[in-house]
Amino acid sequence: MPTQQTADEHELAELIVNALNLEDVPPESIDPEATLFGAGLGLDSIDALELALGISKQFGFQMRSDDESNKQIFSSLRALSHYIQEHRKT
Amino acid sequence: MPASLLPLFSASNSDRLVAWQSGRAMTAAEFMADVTVVANGLPDSQWIVNLCEQRYAFLIGFCAALLRNQTTLLPSSRAQQVVAELAAAYPGSYRCDDDTIQDVLGGKLRFSSSAVSGHRGPAAKQPALVGFTSGSTGGPTPHAKLWSSLSRHTELNASRILETIAFGAGGSRPWIVATVPPQHMYGMEMSVLLPLLADMPVHCGRPLFPADVAAALAEVPRPRILVTTPIHLRALVESGQDFPDLALVISATAPLDAKLAASGEQRLQARVLDVLGSTETCAIATREIVRDTAWRPHPGVVLTAGHNCTVVEAPWFDEPARLQDIVEFLPGGCFMLSGRNADMLEIAGKRASLAQLTQRLLAVPGVVDAVVFQPEPAGRGPARRVSALAVAPGLTAAQVLDRLKDSVDPAFLPRPLVLVPALPRNATGKLPREQLLGALRTASAGDTL
Repeated sequence: MPTQQTADEHELAELIVNALNLEDVPPESIDPEATLFGAGLGLDSIDALELALGISKQFGFQMRSDDESNKQIFSSLRALSHYIQEHRKT
Repeated sequence: MPASLLPLFSASNSDRLVAWQSGRAMTAAEFMADVTVVANGLPDSQWIVNLCEQRYAFLIGFCAALLRNQTTLLPSSRAQQVVAELAAAYPGSYRCDDDTIQDVLGGKLRFSSSAVSGHRGPAAKQPALVGFTSGSTGGPTPHAKLWSSLSRHTELNASRILETIAFGAGGSRPWIVATVPPQHMYGMEMSVLLPLLADMPVHCGRPLFPADVAAALAEVPRPRILVTTPIHLRALVESGQDFPDLALVISATAPLDAKLAASGEQRLQARVLDVLGSTETCAIATREIVRDTAWRPHPGVVLTAGHNCTVVEAPWFDEPARLQDIVEFLPGGCFMLSGRNADMLEIAGKRASLAQLTQRLLAVPGVVDAVVFQPEPAGRGPARRVSALAVAPGLTAAQVLDRLKDSVDPAFLPRPLVLVPALPRNATGKLPREQLLGALRTASAGDTL
């Protein structure tokens, strides 16, 4: 069984599902600790672009991909949510 | 230089700039030094599969191959099975990636002892590269490009670009920043050949997010040209990010609508030039869609109507090429495109056909029947996802997708892939579009209840 999503993680899961038109994925079904890219949801770099756009609109900051910790940031819903909470401006 | 040789560079000036790499501009002399090291270290072979993701490594590998009279193969995707099939079709070919180039440059790896003679240019009739398109039968179709033909294309691209930015005598040469990979023909023309042959140096990064694009642009001197796609352009427009001033935005790989182009011009304060081309033909026409919806062919390009297609000819082509578009000719040599063969897909600068994707899905062990199709475009922007229905008793959708990943580029993985007891075939065995969409809707309604 997936671990429970926090409120922040659920908000991000909804953003992911909406931004990427994952109509067949209920937000609450995304395991906060499972990988988002490659395996897992199978997201690719264009999804990352859409996601960054959604994040900039909702949380008021721009993501960067040349960050060394990028792989870590996008590794899971939980990691991405942590990163957003640290950087959000809204 | 003998008449049969063409320069690897447009200018013999060794101080001219070629690339922006690791925070600084590299001169032709520095670049050629790296190329020579790599050329001397490559294995003897007729074919090199260049999988480099770093633009600088790609450039070095491509030029090194040219100096060794080797032909670069550009697979349509990096998917494991696609690369393996290419290797099988070209016996003796070898793969080169970022690590290979780094290791040869650093002296850790050396395959060959045959030395190259410095700056000798490639022969005009050397096949410089082979691009691949996916035929409707599923197999990749090769398209070889002679160095002379690529050189001519690049001249035409460059002159159109310089005309659009009103480049005057004495002005600095424009710098290129590209969001597209060098392996795709559009990326090859704009981010590899323009720097080599038209004295337009390139930033070696491949910026993804809007803030990355802004940072890459800020690194290089003015005037700046951004080479991108409609998907990326839309992200830039909507991002709220500030961008350094730009001289020109070039877009290709998918239809650019006039509204997005207009927002792009306003947001980025630069003209947007839409480029029409294909792996078969390279760039053949351009338009500034904000000012004119008609395509203007490159000088020398002649289009004629064929049966259900358009035939493209140019003096530097080996043979006429066919476009899947239907063309409407206008007075004055310009033309409009009306409709494209619905089977072909272009997503993120990569091409595939629905027939080929369906073949790949059918080839997954356990899948007994399947179809890949493009659902109705939802919302704004370019359509970019395919969907699939599959019959695969005993397997889950996730298992099927997982196996499909070995042979299909991530951009073309169906989303969603829905398992059904049987495909909604009609009495003649065909799959009407309405039935496919209906099956998809039923499945997603069931999942989200």
